[in-house]
Amino acid sequence: MNGVHDMGGMHGLGPIVREDPEPWFHEAWERRAFALTLAAGFLGKWNLDMSRYAREQMPPAEYLATSYYEHWLWGLERLLVDKGLLTREEIDARLAGLRKAAR
Amino acid sequence: MPVLRAADVGKVLLKGGRARVDEPVPPRFKAGDRVTTRNVNPLGHTRLPRYARGRQGVIDRDHGVFIFPDTHAMGQGPKPQHCYAVRFAARELWGPEASPRDWIYIDLWDDHLDPA
Repeated sequence: MNGVHDMGGMHGLGPIVREDPEPWFHEAWERRAFALTLAAGFLGKWNLDMSRYAREQMPPAEYLATSYYEHWLWGLERLLVDKGLLTREEIDARLAGLRKAAR
Repeated sequence: MPVLRAADVGKVLLKGGRARVDEPVPPRFKAGDRVTTRNVNPLGHTRLPRYARGRQGVIDRDHGVFIFPDTHAMGQGPKPQHCYAVRFAARELWGPEASPRDWIYIDLWDDHLDPA
């Protein structure tokens, strides 16, 4: 897919910041997003290449404005909905509940 | 549905997913062969980056037989085939302003390549 993920040769994205040592995760939620993706993979409903392709389908503007593990989370939600394990409405309802609780 | 128990997580993760396939699929190329990458623009997944399509390179080494991600990602089966490290001159990919001493190695599969 000629998606925005295929960034080789693109200009204007700024310098690559090297961290030494680079942490595995920059936020606690990233660790959870990663674990959730791997755990859901064991359901056997998709393979590794399908999960990669799912992340590639994120809308380009959104992809460029979000972080690596936000891509992972988007891809996971996409797969869970595509495979009928969750509905978009269930995810939205849960998010609305969490937002309300956080207020 | 399969159940993954907490006690087994470490074991399963260490084992990892296997992309290498133990099937005697004959290679289409060998180290030193000149190849041209295909000019394709698939709607599905591909491991062939845009900047390397329709370009000439040389087979550096044969990694062996692997699942083909381009079909595997689309639910069209693993289509096992040889995966190679293909060497491209930076100038072939980026033009005359690129360094003449730089080379780019890309892992590509039989279905990405034609004889040059």
